[in-house]
Parts: sequence; structure tokens; C-alpha cells
Amino acid sequence: MDWKSTEQASMERHAPNHSSSTSSSIPATENTVWADASPLLETVCEELRDGELIHGENFNLYAAMSALEIMDPKMDSGIINKYASVDEAIEDGLAPVPISLDKTVDVQCIIDIIDQLLACEATWHKGHSLAQTVFSCAYLLRPERTLSHALLDSYCKVIRATCKAVTSIVSDARTHEEEDLFTMAYGLPLNVEGDEKCLSLLNAVEENISRQLRACKALPSKRKPLEDIEPLQNNFDLEEGYCKALLCRLRFRKHFYHVLTCMRRPQGRGLELARKHIASCISELGSILNSAEFLMSNAYGTCEDGTEDRTTASGRQAIGFDANLNSRISAPTPPRSIKILSWKKAIEYFEKLLHHLDIICSYLLDPSLDVLLRFVAQFQKAQPDLVARVHLQLLLVQDGKLYGRYPILAVIIRAARLPEVIMRHDIQKNEYVVQLGQIVINMLKVLCTNAAWQRRKLGKILQDWRAIYVQLELAFRKEFGEGSSISNGENASAGILKHILIWVEEQTYWIAHRFLVLGFELELYSPSEYCMVYWYLYVVLIRLAEKTHLKMTVSDGSAKQKGKKRKDSPKDLAREARIPPAISFLQCQICLAEGLALLLAALRNELMVLQSPSPFNSEHERFIQHFELLQKACIPDLISYPSFKESTSHARLSSLVMYNYFKDAQKIAKEVKSSFLNDPDRLAELCILEQVAEHNSVALNVISRVGALDPSLKIAIAPWEAPQVYNIGLSFFSRKDDQTHFSKIKSSNSLAHRPCATRVAATFRITAAMVAAHTAVFQVAPTATVIF
Amino acid sequence: MEEEMEISSSTRATESSSSDIVSRARKLLFRRMLVGIKDGRFFLGSFHCIDKQGNIILQDAVEYRNTHRSSPSPMEQRCLGLILIPSSCRTSCHVDCSIEEQLSLLKFQ
Repeated sequence: MDWKSTEQASMERHAPNHSSSTSSSIPATENTVWADASPLLETVCEELRDGELIHGENFNLYAAMSALEIMDPKMDSGIINKYASVDEAIEDGLAPVPISLDKTVDVQCIIDIIDQLLACEATWHKGHSLAQTVFSCAYLLRPERTLSHALLDSYCKVIRATCKAVTSIVSDARTHEEEDLFTMAYGLPLNVEGDEKCLSLLNAVEENISRQLRACKALPSKRKPLEDIEPLQNNFDLEEGYCKALLCRLRFRKHFYHVLTCMRRPQGRGLELARKHIASCISELGSILNSAEFLMSNAYGTCEDGTEDRTTASGRQAIGFDANLNSRISAPTPPRSIKILSWKKAIEYFEKLLHHLDIICSYLLDPSLDVLLRFVAQFQKAQPDLVARVHLQLLLVQDGKLYGRYPILAVIIRAARLPEVIMRHDIQKNEYVVQLGQIVINMLKVLCTNAAWQRRKLGKILQDWRAIYVQLELAFRKEFGEGSSISNGENASAGILKHILIWVEEQTYWIAHRFLVLGFELELYSPSEYCMVYWYLYVVLIRLAEKTHLKMTVSDGSAKQKGKKRKDSPKDLAREARIPPAISFLQCQICLAEGLALLLAALRNELMVLQSPSPFNSEHERFIQHFELLQKACIPDLISYPSFKESTSHARLSSLVMYNYFKDAQKIAKEVKSSFLNDPDRLAELCILEQVAEHNSVALNVISRVGALDPSLKIAIAPWEAPQVYNIGLSFFSRKDDQTHFSKIKSSNSLAHRPCATRVAATFRITAAMVAAHTAVFQVAPTATVIF
Repeated sequence: MEEEMEISSSTRATESSSSDIVSRARKLLFRRMLVGIKDGRFFLGSFHCIDKQGNIILQDAVEYRNTHRSSPSPMEQRCLGLILIPSSCRTSCHVDCSIEEQLSLLKFQ
């Protein structure tokens, strides 16, 4: 309220002399003057008819619509609000140094500033501009002003240095297209001389405060501090609390900066050390959180904010912040007002970030691409934010090598299960093989982006994978002729190419599979589309299993050939007869996907459920919308909407009962579990698969016993939320049940536990987790309830 | 409404003088124009369009602002491109012209 009146006053001051100040400061061209055109324009406006414009020949009404409207708060980022400039704000007393002459108040205020900066930093990481978040702090904007205040200065320095480090990491990774505001730092003092010394300054300040802490602890009775150590502030009773509150905040900063620098060391050499700093950071965050009680109880003013929204531990508004200070700098964005995360949320954010960074640091940099891809997929399940994902990406791809250690070609050769000696072969000079290396790097980068961006990009790079396959195949044919036998020893490169071709196909299907699964995570499919999605998943999984199996047999074959020269091992033969666990795992998923696709189709064919004809598009159109990118890349070959219709239109519940896919899936899961005892992630996934298969198999039996077409059955379908599994519950009610009863069960979210056993005859579970999907939080979908 | 009717009829009646004024304003098109607004900023750009309500569109506009509200202070500037300045926030409007032209502009009444 107050500033408005001052603004008006200043405008009045401004208005009379505006013409003189104008002509003096903004010169007209040579030999010309500024002539006042207002009277003329005023008369002209009176003369003009309604809707009439004065304009030149180049005027275009459509283009004129895009003009920036001055003084429109949503368009004009330059509106002069409280302060005309940072300097004026500082002269006005926005950011005094020292903050208060009372040392106790000064320390309290600095802690508030530190807390507010943490909240701002988290808000920045969450996708807002640096100018409007961290640099809304006037102390950061004028580095020279804080020099006299060691504590404030060292903290400002470390904040600027941290922001600079994070910005440079994110812009190096170049995967922030979706979050492009992040690196906008134009006009902000990020490269201040002296900021590189932030750690030594911070250490000195920390050392000093810990001495003050020791001093006040040593003299609890005398109530008089040692002569040679000046206390942090004046109130002896609060000395310990404030020292501790400051120390954990400074230490957190120090360790966080170390985490960033350690993680940037080439070839993942700093990861071990980074883990130690991460652990320290997390423990300091705990101390910061614990200091809130002390700070709140000793707040010198009243806290205005509600406890939930407060951006500082004490609940007071921090001094020196104004969100509009930099609004002109954030020019490419509309001048939107943003909400800074609360202090609690900011701490939660940093805990999550550190946890994700820890997962990255504890990864063993396995040279196997298989292991790596599973790790990345698993990592993404936790929905890490940009900063964590960027660190992962920079770790994976350094200087065009995996982890900066393994040439990408070596990685491909290993993934294609070729012996390492081939690295010396001139196959690596083949231009398509070189291109393939680029495509693999590209894929790794895409896998580190956010889910939505990742899915779109994966869909697009599928075509690259298809194209490189075709080119490699052509090169293969051209060089060795179609009929020539490859077993010939001299044609080693032909053999290598064949291996690589198989692997490229396998990898292509892996990408297609991930593309489909990400659709579940992003909630792109509606229940009426599950049938086609599971069907497509099934056909993709079949090809994936085929190619993986082929790759394994081919490489085992060539390995055996070599082994034979030495000695025949009967053990090898026995092992070969067994299906490899990786294939069984896929088979289990295939059975489930096929079972679910056919079940959903049968339900639709026989009971007319899950048909939700859309007024906007037909099923065929939706099929194209979902799978267009796969279809364009011919993944898989000869698969189209008619083939989907053909394989699902005859699905019947009776035939499903005859051939129970769920039973098969359950059996395979049970058998193969023992092979994954040392792989907890996949074991957990298998357990879910098994449970779901068992559940659905029982449900199917119940239906077959009752008879699917029994007129006394009433069917309701609703997807609901579960921690790991995406379910569709199909509940069969007797006719007397009504809708309200069903929704009661649904809202209690307990269909899975079948609370009213007499009424709910069967529940089917559909899981996306079975396809290695997610722990993403699914919303309870809007009730897609169909009642008959 | 009646007022508008009156104006438009009067426009037709005094067509010669009105077209004179309008054509004079038309001559200002593409000239450098400096518009001041009520929060103290100035916009310099080429005069692109004006409507009956007095809203002005400037092309290739540059925003000037004082870094302090108290008058003599350095000016910050930035390019904005095509801007629309509503008549409600306009406090001044100048065009760049020679001294002779200035006289002719002033004596339009």
C-alpha cells in the first residue's frame, strides 16, 4: 500500500519535468528537435471515426496483435514497481550491511537470508528462472557491498559459485530443452572475481564460529565469554543455538559444493569421495531441520506467514529479497509471478536430490550396456529432477566414451557379445559402425531426460535405429554377397557385422518397449485402449525375446566353436539346453501381456465392456496416434491395425480359460526367480509379475465357473492406484448391487484385497510394472465405470 | 452513441479540414517517436499506427528508464520491438523533426 503512494508522488514529481529530461537525455537526430505531438494526436483522435486507424502501407493487423502491450502486467516485464533499479533498492535500504547493529538481530537475519536462499535455490532447480529465485536477493547482486561482512560475504560467494557450477553442468549436458529457463543467467553476476575462493573463506568463517561455540560451551557457569574470542552475538543464552544453527548451514554449503566438484571429475573418479560429502550433506540437512525449533522460539518479530508456507526456519520474512528486482533481466519469459517453495519443501527437495545423486555415485560403472540400461530405467522410476538426471548423463557420456573410459564401439561389441579382440579389427572404420556409435550415445542421453521428453525422443530415434540397421545390412550384403557362407574363416568382418545386426535389432525393440511402457508412466492410455497397448506390447516383447535369444545362441555358437578346439565340455551342452533366465523373464512378460490383451478383447467382445466410443476419433485413429512412431519405423514389421483387429476380434473368455496365459506366466516367474537372487530389482519385479499372474489366473477360473454370460452378473471396471502396480479391477456384482456399493469399495482402494468376498467374485490385475515399468504415482483415474 | 454520431457527421461536414489533420498525422508515420508513460519510462521507436482511442503502436522500440526516480540519473535501455502503448498510460508524445516542421506541427489549430 505504502509504495503506491510514494510511486504516485514520484510520478507527479516526474511529470512536469519529463519533457526537459527527455530532450536532454535522449537526443533527437542531428539538426532536429523533439516536437510535442500530443495536441495534434489528440485532435486527430477526435477526427477519426470508430475503428479507423492511421497506419502506413506496411501495416498488418495480424502482426500488430503480437505487439507487446506496455503496462500490461502479464506482458510488460519492465513495469517499474517498487524500485526503479537495484541501486535504488539498495539506497532505499532493502539490503543493509550489516543488517543490524545489534549483533543478535544481525545473526538472526543472516540465518533467515540463508534459509530463504535455500528455498529459492530449490525453486530454481524446480524450473523457475535464476533471476527470479536465487538472484532476487540483493546481497548476491552487489558482491562488493558484502565484502565487509565475512559471514554474509562467504555465504553469498558460495551460493554464486554453486549456481555457476550447476548452470555449467546443466548447459554442458544440453538435455534441458524442456527446462530451458534453467541456464538463463544473462545479466546476473555469476562470474564474480573472488568467488572461486569461496571455500577457503567459508572454512575460515566456519572455523571461527566453531571456536565461538567451543568457547561458550567451555564456560557454562561463568556466563562470561573468554576474553580473546569475541562471541558471535550478544545474548549468551542463545550463543550455542545460533552457533549451531549457522554451522550446519555453512557445512551443508561446503559439502554440497564439494559434491558438485567431485561428481564432475572425469571418468567418475570422484564418485567415492562425492558419496562421503553427500552423506555429510544429508546429516547437515537433518541438523538444519532440527534448528527450526530454536530459531522459531527466538524470533525477534512476529512471523506473518503460516507455518506451512514459510520460506525460513524462523518463519520471518528474510531481509534483502525482492522478486521484481530482476524482472527486466528475465526478458524471454513473460513476467509471471512465481511462488517460492517453502523452507520445508526445499529441504525435502535437497534430500531427494542428494539421495538421487547418491544412487548415481554408488553405481559401479559397469561396462555392460545391458546392466547400464537397466540401471538407468530403474533410476528414472524415482522421477529424479533435472539436476540429478544431468549428473547421470554427464557421467555416462564423457568425451564420446562410456563413463569417459570405454570407447563406445567396445561397448557395442561387448553388448553384441563379440570377443574383445575384434576391437583391433578394421570393422571400426566402417562408416555405418561409426554412425551406430553416435546413435548409441544419443540414446544414452535421451534416456536421462524427463519422462515426457524421453518418450517423444525415443519414438523419433527409433527411425535412426531402423535406418542404421538397413544400412548395415546393405553394407553387409554388398561386401560379402548374399549367398556367401559366413562360416568361412577369412570373412571375419561378415561375422562381426552379423552379430552387430542382431544386436541393433534387439536394441531397437528394447527402445520400442521402453517407449510403450513410458506411456503408462505418463498416463497416456485410457482404459479402453489398454487392449491395443498390451497387444502391441506383446508383439514387441515377442520380437525382443526372439532377438535376444538369437544373439545369445549365435554368440554361444561362436564361443563353442572356439572351445571345441580345446576340449568338449559336457557341462556346456547341459547349460545350452536350458533357456537363459533373461529370456524366461521376457517370456513371463509376454504371457502376461498376451493374456491381458486377449482378456480385455474377450471382455469387449462378449460383455461389451471397455468400449468407450469416442466422439472425436475411431479406434483405428487412436491406434495410429499411439503407435505412429513405431509404425513409421516398421516396428515390428507387418504389424498394423488390421492385424490387431484380426488377432483380438475372436477372443473369447472360454478359450482364455482353456489356455490360461496367466498360469504360464506364474509358472515361469516361479521357476526363474532363483536365477535373479543377486539382482534385487528384477527379483522384486518378478514377484509382482507372479502375484499378478496368480491373481488373474484365479479370477479367470472364477469366471469360467460362474459363466461369463450369466445374466446375474454385473460388471464394473475401474482402474485404481496402488503403490507399484497399475490395476484394473473387474468386479462382478450380483444384480441387486448398485453403483454406490461399487464406488464405496473403489474409494476404499481395497478391491485387491477383496473385502466383500461374497460379492466380488473376481478381480483382474493389470500391471505395467510387469513390463519393467515404474513406481510412479498414479492418480486414481476418473471413474471409467461401465455398468451393465 | 449520439456523441459519436455527431462527431462522425461533423467529420463529414468538415471533410476538408479533417482530412488535412489526418493527413498531417499521416506524415508522422515512420518517424522517430518518443512516448513517455506514467511510470516514468520512455519508449523510442518508429511511429507505426494510432487508433481513435489514441493507442499507439511503435516499431523497433527501445525502452529507456531512469535507474533512480530522482531526475538526474543514468538511463538504462533495452530493445523491445513492436509495442502497443495504451493511451491511458501515455503522458507525453514527441516526434523527431526539424525546427520548421515543428512550427507547422504546432500551428495546426
